[in-house]
Amino acid sequence: MSNAKPPPPPLPPVSGPGSPRDVPPLPGQFPIDPATLPKPIRDELTAPDPVAIDTSAKELKDGANHCPKCGATDIRHKHGSDLLVCLYCRNEWQGARVEEEFGLGTGLDELSGTIIASGAKDIAADSAHLMSFKCSGCGAEVTVNTESQMTARCHWCRHVFGVNEQVANGAVPDAVLPFHIKKDDAIARIRQFVDKRQMFALKEFKEQFTPENVSAVYLPYMIVDGRASADVAGQGEIETARYTRGSGNDKKTYYDADVYAVQRHVDFTVDDLPLESSSERGNHDTSVNTNNIINTILPFDTKNAVKWNASYLHGVSSEKRDRDVAHLKPRLEDQLLSIARHQVLESVSRYDRGVRWEQESLDVHGTRWVSMYLPVWLYSYHQPGKNGGMLHYIAVNGRTGETMGSVPVQHWKLILAALTVGTILEGIALWILAN
Amino acid sequence: MSDDGSLALLLLGPAGATGLYWMLYRHYRNTDKSHAFEHETAVEAKPVTGSEHKVDEVKGTRESSIRGNNVRAYRQRVQRQQDDS
Repeated sequence: MSNAKPPPPPLPPVSGPGSPRDVPPLPGQFPIDPATLPKPIRDELTAPDPVAIDTSAKELKDGANHCPKCGATDIRHKHGSDLLVCLYCRNEWQGARVEEEFGLGTGLDELSGTIIASGAKDIAADSAHLMSFKCSGCGAEVTVNTESQMTARCHWCRHVFGVNEQVANGAVPDAVLPFHIKKDDAIARIRQFVDKRQMFALKEFKEQFTPENVSAVYLPYMIVDGRASADVAGQGEIETARYTRGSGNDKKTYYDADVYAVQRHVDFTVDDLPLESSSERGNHDTSVNTNNIINTILPFDTKNAVKWNASYLHGVSSEKRDRDVAHLKPRLEDQLLSIARHQVLESVSRYDRGVRWEQESLDVHGTRWVSMYLPVWLYSYHQPGKNGGMLHYIAVNGRTGETMGSVPVQHWKLILAALTVGTILEGIALWILAN
Repeated sequence: MSDDGSLALLLLGPAGATGLYWMLYRHYRNTDKSHAFEHETAVEAKPVTGSEHKVDEVKGTRESSIRGNNVRAYRQRVQRQQDDS
């Protein structure tokens, strides 16, 4: 009996995701020529993706951002402006504003269905963070880790690459809002913020306070336009009489009121509502993190956002989006309901004893989702403690300069101050009672 | 002075201490802050419509506002009615 096994079948050609191919396939590319396939399959493959607004930049697809004047790739963002500057020939130019380019500021009244810009598409489950490019200058391999960086320099020929094509890992948004606030300005704002919070601040925080360590970060957001209607129903009361009964110290105030069943309906549109599209940043539980600080420095002037170009992110770190439109819909609906409740406030002002809303409903007619990188200066301090401690942020809005922060407190000092004031107040109270 | 009055006065110390603690804590940690999207987002609303009718009368209550008043608590969600559309 022979133990000879048949030879293993030949390995399939090394291609496809995860294989050591030089460059990942560009979106829309298919390893087999669709023209050779049967017609139904070909039609399916070549049919356009369900993208309503295509914001991808065709001219940047090879990863190299060329200066429109001299063709060099050493492009930087000119700080304090929306301009890009070529470090070789000093040519400056402005990126196109997405607002006009893709008509994002118009048609709010006619929004219907869910329109998703190409950079806000769902993140593919098997997408990789690492992307490698073949340098068009010398042929070397250049790798970019899209978790935190969007540009890299070829270490052989100094060519600069940027991740410009909208890969399905969520790293490339539709638009970017460049930094306007410079580092010196951000440091001054953080220093001013902390100077106002010195007395009860944690000693270690004060000793280690170095605002020069502030870092520029692009954080991922979904900017949502929406058209919705909301209905709320409840009860409201109007005071009809107020009188006192009893005399002397037993005087008590009583109220009479009419009770009404109240119902309100409002149709409204919302323009550029920002939602965090990172699951970590979207968690605002103040008992475990201080992400509410970064939420507070919203909004940004998102109308001025420019079409994606990785050169804006040179030397700046970025966080990748990991939430899709479907994940963010409940948060959007919650915020739309809050907006609706705020809108009807004025119409119930005659109920001077207040309104108790009991039921609410929301009908979202249409939404438009655009993913964007927004600029934030972030200073952080890690306070050791239970469950890994607490990371305290001080954040400066990279456009408006709005500053908010969390300064760790020295609890014993705070308790001592509170007890001192409490004792003085109690002393006054006892003195009044004794006299 | 009545018992109610003296009790309120005696509570002045603890209440003042707690109030100061929370005020300072919030000033440093800003745990109560978030993006005021209700005010800071561009919202265009059509005129609010609606209806109201009297259902009841309240006589001689000591409460100065309706029980469960949530007219200004926009972010507090109440029972959600699912829309048919």
